[in-house]
Amino acid sequence: MQYLIMCRSMTYAQRSVALLERSGISARVVKAPQSLSSNGCGYGVSLYRHFEEARELLKKNNLISGKLFFRKDNGEYQELV
Amino acid sequence: MIYFDNAATTMIKPLAVGRAVLRAMQTMASPGRGAHEPAMQAAKTVYNCRVEAAELFKVPEPEQIVFTMNATHGLNIAINNLAKEGTKVLVSGYEHNSVTRPLATAGADIHVASSPVFDGEEILYAFERELDWAELAVCTHVSNVFGFILPIYDIARLCHDKGVPLIVDASQSAGVLEVDYTRLGAEYIAMPGHKGLFGPQGTGILICAKAGEPLLCGGSGTDSIPQHMPKYLPDRLEAGTHNVCGIAGLLEGIRYVRSRGIGEIFKHENCLLKRMTEKLAELDGLELFTEECKEQSGVLSVRGKKISCEDFAAALAEEGICVRTGLHCAPYAHKSAGTLDTGTVRFSFSPFNTFEEVDGCCQFIKDLL
Repeated sequence: MQYLIMCRSMTYAQRSVALLERSGISARVVKAPQSLSSNGCGYGVSLYRHFEEARELLKKNNLISGKLFFRKDNGEYQELV
Repeated sequence: MIYFDNAATTMIKPLAVGRAVLRAMQTMASPGRGAHEPAMQAAKTVYNCRVEAAELFKVPEPEQIVFTMNATHGLNIAINNLAKEGTKVLVSGYEHNSVTRPLATAGADIHVASSPVFDGEEILYAFERELDWAELAVCTHVSNVFGFILPIYDIARLCHDKGVPLIVDASQSAGVLEVDYTRLGAEYIAMPGHKGLFGPQGTGILICAKAGEPLLCGGSGTDSIPQHMPKYLPDRLEAGTHNVCGIAGLLEGIRYVRSRGIGEIFKHENCLLKRMTEKLAELDGLELFTEECKEQSGVLSVRGKKISCEDFAAALAEEGICVRTGLHCAPYAHKSAGTLDTGTVRFSFSPFNTFEEVDGCCQFIKDLL
């Protein structure tokens, strides 16, 4: 399953990916769909595995500032609360 | 050619710098302007440069590294944020026009903490005496004219104790002396990329404690609907397309500095300074501005007793020796040293200069005088 962690900016997304990769979690920076970016044009971190660990790690390092989503089989994103 | 104008721009760069610029030009697009490979490559390069710079200057978060077009650009952002009409600003007597002109344009009330050149104790005393009056302090780390190393950490401590915000101009020290953001605790530290960090011209860094107000507004690649700049760093202060090619070169320049070591670079330049000072001191026709090379970076200003600075520099240029003459955009510094009426001839070194170049230059000067 694909997860998407919305980030404040490209730089924050890059910091998040760097942090996750240092912890052995594979992730990459992606441009977020417009429908998920309330202010228009946003970047996020996409990952397929270890979502909970990633969320905890980013939270601990004050890098979570946006919403979290997972992508359903039909391609739609659903917010995780 | 002998290039001794490194305080203006280090022209001789590590080879990796030029290669990186070319590679960026041919393979990279704009960071934050798409998710395709050339845009992501550009973003990665820019981010890597932020990280390397943050590590070099002991900055906690990479987003506090803002890319500018030069130190002047960074100083304008900093000064526009902290100095308004009537703001009481204390500066050293060694500031560049990139500090004093923006302050004058803002209508700030500028006061100089005066001291003789190479007198670190006196300048510290002057700051201590005047800081109670000030609402803002702006201070260079090293004089671009004389290489005088100001006691910036002590000045920063005084500012901190008295609650006066500080802007540091690290134009001549970045890459040559330790510039430790955490120890300085400054609101802003501005520096060029094209001097001691060996980046291309058109690059610079502003280290920011907080976001502040932008100097330019425009596209940031994120948060595109609101008609104001994003509130967070670095996007808030980086409107428009980045100088990706320049930043790619700057990244390699910073890597060179980190790899060779700041202490080693300073030591080499200081040895060249001592060599030139010893040789030129033997000549009668010259006035040297130095205090036994103490509290001095790899910069030496001189004046001919019977030859104007312009004629002196022109003769050197004809011989293929590149130096800078005049007031070096720093009339405050020349006023402090008593050289405002003549200017000086400035020799400034880099880690790529050699003792042979110093010896060759000194021999030519001996013959000239």
